[in-house]
Amino acid sequence: MDTQIFDMHNIDIAWCPGCGNFPILKTLKQALAELEIEPANLVLVSGIGQAAKIPHYFKTNVFNGLHGRALPAATAIKAANPALTVISESGDGDMYGEGGNHFLHTIRRNPDITNIVHNNMVYGLTKGQASPTSQIGFKTPVQVGGVFLEPFNPLAVAIALDASFVARCFAGDAEQTKEIIKKAIKHKGYALVDIFQPCASFNKLNTYEWFKKHTYYLEDSHDHSNKNEAFKKATEEEKFPLGIFYIKPDKKTFEENIGIYQENQQPLYERKPNTGKLHSLIETFKFAD
Amino acid sequence: MCGNEALAEAAILAGCDAYFGYPITPQNEIPAYMSRRMPEEGRVFVQSESELAAINMVFGASATGKRAMTSSSSPGISLMQEGISYLAGAELPAVVVNITRGGPGLGNISPAQSDYFQATRGGGHGDYRTIVLAPSSVQEMVDCMLLAFDLADQYRMTVLVLADGILGQMMEPIVLEKKPSRELPPKDWALTGAKGREQNIIRSLWLGEGVLEKHNNKLKAKYEQVQENEVLCEQYEVDDAEIVVVAYGVTARIVRGAAAKAREEGIKVGWIRPITLWPFPTEQISKVANEFRIFLTVEMSAGQMVEDVKLAVAGKAPVVFYGRPGGSVPTVDELLDKIRQLTLRHEIKI
Repeated sequence: MDTQIFDMHNIDIAWCPGCGNFPILKTLKQALAELEIEPANLVLVSGIGQAAKIPHYFKTNVFNGLHGRALPAATAIKAANPALTVISESGDGDMYGEGGNHFLHTIRRNPDITNIVHNNMVYGLTKGQASPTSQIGFKTPVQVGGVFLEPFNPLAVAIALDASFVARCFAGDAEQTKEIIKKAIKHKGYALVDIFQPCASFNKLNTYEWFKKHTYYLEDSHDHSNKNEAFKKATEEEKFPLGIFYIKPDKKTFEENIGIYQENQQPLYERKPNTGKLHSLIETFKFAD
Repeated sequence: MCGNEALAEAAILAGCDAYFGYPITPQNEIPAYMSRRMPEEGRVFVQSESELAAINMVFGASATGKRAMTSSSSPGISLMQEGISYLAGAELPAVVVNITRGGPGLGNISPAQSDYFQATRGGGHGDYRTIVLAPSSVQEMVDCMLLAFDLADQYRMTVLVLADGILGQMMEPIVLEKKPSRELPPKDWALTGAKGREQNIIRSLWLGEGVLEKHNNKLKAKYEQVQENEVLCEQYEVDDAEIVVVAYGVTARIVRGAAAKAREEGIKVGWIRPITLWPFPTEQISKVANEFRIFLTVEMSAGQMVEDVKLAVAGKAPVVFYGRPGGSVPTVDELLDKIRQLTLRHEIKI
């Protein structure tokens, strides 16, 4: 499939020149095209932030909702129509800060969705405040003395919660990122893909060069079924590993667990109300003669 | 100094002990300023993980008797409504700044006055009120902040300062001077450690038959006192006016220009500018409402304050609305046109 099928024409893209969101946009289109996922069968769900604008630049079904609340909406969309490919995509501030609580509980719920997080370690939309993943010592116009909070570690949290697929990529490596996104989309169950994304305007610390210098790919020998090993890799900080950290293959999804699909595969949105059942319920409330 | 920075410095001057906030446009200058100045003063600045955290940090700091504030913009203020309701129930002072933008939903980041209902009616649940101050200049943003902390402490209420993106970004000369503070009651309710006295309890839960009713009636009596004593508004050339324009905030500045031009054309226009949106200057408007006048309410909304103007006029005069919603700002000439049209209508009527 040609990636052009996802292209929007005559649109203004609000990202700065050199923004790491551009390669992610391109890579995601390629991954979807290679997986032959039709725009009609895809929903991109986002919250608020620069990364959350990605659905606006994509010719497909789009849900751009509230700050931090993309995951609950994505869970419900998937539950209403399990045939859709649902990708919930936003930035680190949206997913790990404002939406941190939903992040935890979506992992526990395990809907069959892909959660792509553009992790640039800064709030780009509001022009450069520290985000939950900002490194200690990172100086901003608001964190004038430098960040002193421990950075949020999304991978370690996801693995601790036994998330069914946990990976990290770097936006500067399109080829590897595409392959990982493809695996995440194909994976059955919740899949987290945290993507290191340079912010050209507001993060002068974590640049393309910095990420190149401070990352490496997990060795082929890495056993992604080993939770302890995955957790150990996720807590490495001197150099950040990239690749697939952890897969829990046979975890039941939210859609499989909820009663409505256990006997009837028809998507929720197609079902008609059962008036017969309703009438018999009403009958039970009536006084006997 | 832009309006947002002036407001922040005024909060420091007012003795704000702690600031909590989460990034949102168009008010980011406030936390940026506070992040630098509060530590210099030995006071607290925290960037929270969400607006919910920010308002609950205000809740906690206020419970200890310290002066605490937060600032945000419309969508963030919506998130804080739960906390504001609980602050009202627990009778704690707090100052909340809303540098508004267009809504509903994410809307846009242009200046708007579409949060009037949320501010004056209470966006949270339960029988409660918040005092709402609406500045129309950078100096008044300063004055409102100084007043806000005093009002909050005096009545143990949340005081909302409702400005917009224009005022936040605007630069004007200001005088930063602490005026003599009003006499404030001691904070004997605060959580300061119960050594040598009975413990204090901060709560908004009032179970038991009639207990909440008694509490709500106590709040009501307090709110009536605020209505009695704290109304602020400005009036100009209303005495002989055939058209009285009612507008607040930045819109009132545009009205002022349009009214002056109309006077040059011989149209008798006066204006009333509410500074407190709650308590609303109902009596001031009611007093000048009669059958020889038309009231024109101008807002950057689809029509919200106009309902309070109608309640104040109470059918004694026609009330006309002109508004620009969605973050659009009316021009002086646009308002002048509207005023001219009203003159024609008025003549036909007489």
